[in-house]
Amino acid sequence: QGRDLIPVLSTGEAAPRFLCSKSNSFSIFQDQAEQFFRSGHTNNWAVLVCTSRFWFNYRHVANTLSVYRSVKRLGIPDSHIVLMLADDMACNPRNPKPATVFSHKNMELNVYGDDVEVDYRSYEVTVENFLRVLTGRIPPSTPRSKRLLSDDRSNILIYMTGHGGNGFLKFQDSEEITNVELADAFEQMWQKRRYNELLFIIDTCQGASMYERFYSPNIMALASSQVGEDSLSHQPDLAIGVHLMDRYTFYVLEFLEEIHPASQTNMNDLFQVCPKSLCVSTPGHRTDLFQRDPQNVLITDFFGSVRKVEITTETVSLDSDLAGFESNLPKDELATEPLKYAEQLPVAQIIHQKPKQKDWHPPGGFILGLWALIIMVFFKTYGIKHMKHIF
Amino acid sequence: TESTSPDSNAFVFCVSVVEGLALLDLGVSPYSGAIFHETPLIIYLFHFLIEYAEFVFMITDVLTAVALYLAIQDFNKVVFKKQKFLIELDKYAPDVAELIQTPMEMHYIPLKVALFYLLNPYTVMSCVAKSTCAINNTVIAFFILATIKGSAFLSAVFLALATYQSLYPLTLFAPALLYLLQREFIPIKLKSKSFWLYTMQYTALYLCSLVVIICLSFFLLNSWDFIPSVYGFILSVPDLTPNIGLFWYFFAEMFEHFSLFFICVFQINVFFYTIPLAIKLKEHPVFFMFVQIAVISIFKSYPTVGDIALYMAFLPVWSHLYRFLRNIFILSCVLVVCSLLFPVLWHLWIYAGSANSNFYYAITLAFNIGQILLISDYFYAFLRREYYLTHGLHLTRQDGTEAMLVLK
Repeated sequence: QGRDLIPVLSTGEAAPRFLCSKSNSFSIFQDQAEQFFRSGHTNNWAVLVCTSRFWFNYRHVANTLSVYRSVKRLGIPDSHIVLMLADDMACNPRNPKPATVFSHKNMELNVYGDDVEVDYRSYEVTVENFLRVLTGRIPPSTPRSKRLLSDDRSNILIYMTGHGGNGFLKFQDSEEITNVELADAFEQMWQKRRYNELLFIIDTCQGASMYERFYSPNIMALASSQVGEDSLSHQPDLAIGVHLMDRYTFYVLEFLEEIHPASQTNMNDLFQVCPKSLCVSTPGHRTDLFQRDPQNVLITDFFGSVRKVEITTETVSLDSDLAGFESNLPKDELATEPLKYAEQLPVAQIIHQKPKQKDWHPPGGFILGLWALIIMVFFKTYGIKHMKHIF
Repeated sequence: TESTSPDSNAFVFCVSVVEGLALLDLGVSPYSGAIFHETPLIIYLFHFLIEYAEFVFMITDVLTAVALYLAIQDFNKVVFKKQKFLIELDKYAPDVAELIQTPMEMHYIPLKVALFYLLNPYTVMSCVAKSTCAINNTVIAFFILATIKGSAFLSAVFLALATYQSLYPLTLFAPALLYLLQREFIPIKLKSKSFWLYTMQYTALYLCSLVVIICLSFFLLNSWDFIPSVYGFILSVPDLTPNIGLFWYFFAEMFEHFSLFFICVFQINVFFYTIPLAIKLKEHPVFFMFVQIAVISIFKSYPTVGDIALYMAFLPVWSHLYRFLRNIFILSCVLVVCSLLFPVLWHLWIYAGSANSNFYYAITLAFNIGQILLISDYFYAFLRREYYLTHGLHLTRQDGTEAMLVLK
């Protein structure tokens, strides 16, 4: 039975499994079971937000798209990604290479790709829409692709980038979201059981201020710079004419390029990405609200959508005895009378309309008075003697 | 787009009277909506005639033309008589023979006036748009006819009717009074008793007929609703649909805090010119009437092209002033071009979306400036002719060089 076992994907290593366990394999079994249930999530979601528009903020769109690309590559499907881009760089008239968004200079990596699905685009990226996505308070007409349909076993990755300040993040040059609002939104999510664990990454100036106010459990946060520091951009590309990426996300992308769905890299490695020498700003992180040790948290717990699959060689036979289960479907109701459409527009009445009766008539006193006056004026002007000529 | 073009507007027939009558049929006062702003007599008139609306307006236009024809015929006789009188009294300077009007050239003037009114494109547009302005014109034309014929009673009645229809013919009280006084040979001196007696009589006739008409309108609908709806509407200008007047643009942009002040300023503009003109033109009341009608049609709150057609019909009467008009070419070009541009810019603004209200208002302003300059040009020419008649054609200054008359 132990011959051709397929490696169990959850742990990434081949492990023999025995159903009938003896005492010495019981502990192995326990370890595996422990490993199996190491993280409590069953599905992964990602909410990736770029909040700036205009051509010179190309790098923010490139940031978001790089994270999108990594997350998709590691297994989260488009149906579980809510991608919000505030402007269209790929088809911007100022883009010398249309339909592309590059993250490295010399155009090494086109993060736009062929299968990008942007859920919230252009002016739809507003603070209100973002908070509605997070809390789930969305109008019933919203399509599924625009909803965050997470449950209490979902691990959610939230990535935000744009221009920010101490305690706020600017959306589209016209409004801001504050760290208090964000913290309250996360608390709402916690109370509505909308996440199991949340990883919040922000790449803006003074980004650490955005996670200062979080108070809900199971949140881990990373930021590209501390309060009072600016988060800097990486390199400009002279052919395209703008800065292509921000430093922090650039190094995160480089880091993520080495992750594959089976890797065991944990969060502590992510915290080390982009030291001050490379990033010029000091990245920060916050793990006090998180219940597990970051050592034990895999990168793929948030960035990938790893399915836990158990392979078994046992056969299970289903019981074919379906006695006692009778259908209680009602018999077809025969139509008792022929059905027809309700009369909505009485065409026949309109076609054969009789001229409308006028319901209002001037009061008799008025007519009398008016004509009396007219006759008086007439006779005053022309004299009574003309009456002879009339009659 | 006659019915949607703003040139014949807030008092446009099609929409508002039909709506008013429909509301009446439903048992609701027609003034409860915001569209209907006609007087009750119009309701009564159109209650029976609504199916024949086109004929009604054609007949009113014809009546106006006929009334103007008869009025100008009589007026010419009066002018000629007065001229003869003044020549015999030697009031004219010796070398003004060419300025005297002859019966030959005055023979066709009434016909020209009637044709000017009937064939004016503005009249045609106003008739096609079925604007109730045509009825106003008819009433004013009859008032002019009654005044020139000398019947104070009829003149007061028609003036009351005209004032009842739209408030502004109130200012025509002064020229009518002056004309009737002149006709009765009552000199206009403030101390003269006969002057005051006649004035009182005329005023009493006018006010009584106005009161009677208003009370009669009360009995049509058994309510005083029509007063705020008709007169309040004219005076307070709540409807800012673009038209060829000057009010809408200002009040569209004005803060409410100031709107009362500016409404007063704008409305005073109509009534303001009466007294100075009365002082200057007391010998020539019919010209005064012409200028006053023009001032009304320029400065009223909801002007339409029908109003313009009315005073333009009078222009042939002063055709002998042609040699003194200074800017007539430019003015006629301005008026023609602006009238042609009105529908173009309206289309561009509303339908094509590539212009905005500023374009349309610019044309409105240019058009109104053209009209004002036209009136002031005629005014200047008239006064200049009068001056030449009494002082001779070749004016010399004190040092012997040729002098030029300037209107100060």
